[in-house]
Amino acid sequence: MVKLSRYFLVIIAIIGFGIALPKLYWVAFAQPIRAPFIQYSCIDHDFMLLRSGDEVTRTNSKGDTFTREEYENKLPLMYTRQLLMNNTMPDSIDGVEMDMHDISNNRSTFRVRPKEIHAPLPTLFPLFESQSGRANLEMPKDFFRITWRMEFIDAESNKVDEEKSRMFSAVLYKRGFKFPAKSINGLPTTRKSCDEGYLVIDSADQLFHIKLVKGLPFVEKAELPEGLKFRSINCVDFKDKFYYAYLFSTDNHVYVLTQYDYQLVKLDVENINPEENEIRIYGDLFNYNVISTGEGEITSQVLDKDYNKVNEYNEIWPVRDERKEGKVAQLLFPAQLKMTNSNSSYVRFFFEANKSFNWIFLSLLLMATQFMIIRKRKENIKNQLVDLGIIAVTGIFGFIAVNFFPNKFFK
Amino acid sequence: MWKSVIYKEWIKTRWFIILYAVLGLAVVGYIFLNVQRDFKFNDANNYWYTIMFMGVRYFGSLKFVPLFGALAISVAQFFPETVSKRIKLTFHLPLNENRVLLMMMLYGTVGLVASYFVQLAMFYALSVLFFPSDIIFPALASITPWFLSGLACYYLAALIVLEPVWKYRIAYLVVAGTFVPLYVQSAPTGAYAPANLALTLLVIIISISLLFSGYRFRKGEM
Repeated sequence: MVKLSRYFLVIIAIIGFGIALPKLYWVAFAQPIRAPFIQYSCIDHDFMLLRSGDEVTRTNSKGDTFTREEYENKLPLMYTRQLLMNNTMPDSIDGVEMDMHDISNNRSTFRVRPKEIHAPLPTLFPLFESQSGRANLEMPKDFFRITWRMEFIDAESNKVDEEKSRMFSAVLYKRGFKFPAKSINGLPTTRKSCDEGYLVIDSADQLFHIKLVKGLPFVEKAELPEGLKFRSINCVDFKDKFYYAYLFSTDNHVYVLTQYDYQLVKLDVENINPEENEIRIYGDLFNYNVISTGEGEITSQVLDKDYNKVNEYNEIWPVRDERKEGKVAQLLFPAQLKMTNSNSSYVRFFFEANKSFNWIFLSLLLMATQFMIIRKRKENIKNQLVDLGIIAVTGIFGFIAVNFFPNKFFK
Repeated sequence: MWKSVIYKEWIKTRWFIILYAVLGLAVVGYIFLNVQRDFKFNDANNYWYTIMFMGVRYFGSLKFVPLFGALAISVAQFFPETVSKRIKLTFHLPLNENRVLLMMMLYGTVGLVASYFVQLAMFYALSVLFFPSDIIFPALASITPWFLSGLACYYLAALIVLEPVWKYRIAYLVVAGTFVPLYVQSAPTGAYAPANLALTLLVIIISISLLFSGYRFRKGEM
């Protein structure tokens, strides 16, 4: 039992050091890795790359360098105000007149990160009145959830509003909704131009649009192709009102759901996975720029306004483990444990195995050192074999752990 | 004989356990005094909204309360045993030495868990008055590791206090310094849910850690 208590303490120490030592190492030695900011020039029909760091550089995809003014002149839909100030804003581009209202109306920015998807998500939502006749949206007194039925809970009394719950549940049931909901997606904020309710996936993977219109339920089912499932549905509130949301499918494609006619339109892009990569989508008068940024790679896929691909740019760089500081880390640590991860908001044990076996050299050295310690203490080596095995597998973490909890009494 | 051992533990720790139980309940009471005040000053729907969508944690004051309570009880229970090495008297009783140590540990664990249970029960009972399960369950997932941190701290503090050699006390303190913070990381409400089972198992395995320093003490390690 006493021996067991020691080994348990050694395990705890290995876990503690397995988290703390790599963390300390990276705090001290991590170098910033900056992905370029990629924009698409509607003047040159080429990618424009802005790189930050010690020196800011502005280039195109061919490597030509530009001054700040030259760079901004090639991106008139992004730097419109600056170009207007400089009197360099073109009157028209590709035969399209530059109308400020149109430019503003077509401009959109969207971002989703893996951390937002792998996160504890709320299960209660406010259902705003979408046609209240008021200029501003107001926070409702109740919140809804969709479990075995759609339930509204009044916040003041903390009780279910039976009448409203029955009304919405009945309408959902009649429209073929299969309870419970798998995901409820919307913009639960009053700080938006108008309310478009929620896009809800039911337990049969059907897509429904639910909102509150003049106190009554509005439920519309959107037809989906057979077998289509989504990783994430992100509602948007853009000025052009072309679509309700970006929908990211499990086969790494992106769709938009058009407003009012509920057409699911597939964007001509590939390998878009917001569960692993940060996805940005910039829209302007001529194009959509879908940018996927992952560890060591950035891809920009540019679409026209009919969502067809017109150009693509890809850039890779050495990931952390391939850089000098990463190689040293692989020499020092057999693996790295973390409680948090940059791609997740959850706290749990994230285990990162070492990609190389260089750490074995340090483990062998530490085993030899431990052997010397054992000899110096005149201990029987047979009683220490488990400790040596622990050091062999867990390297520096195990070496510190077995020496912090010495077993010199166990003869 | 066992009754006498337990009575000895009770004499050492009674005021600490009672004071801690009262303090714990006071903190839970304070949390809900704040909640009812926020319900009064902000509308209930706005308050719910800030909890669900803006990351407000109404239970945040509870974070280090289990940890400090455990530390106080552990020191109260085991520090007197190290003064003039009184624990040796216990080891001379006609009882198995390991079983005596485990009984001391069990006594402290029961005392702590009982006061944690009362705090959690009061927390849950008062939460039900103000919030739906959609708010309460993520809150419980967040406060569970805080209570587990208390138990981890209790076991490791006992280990450290009873360790006879200062050099190793410091070593154990370093280990505790890397391990206990795993339970109190800053995270969104409910984010600890996937970790709670593993963290509970780790607390269970260190519950017998006192045997190690107890053994070293018995063997006269200096």
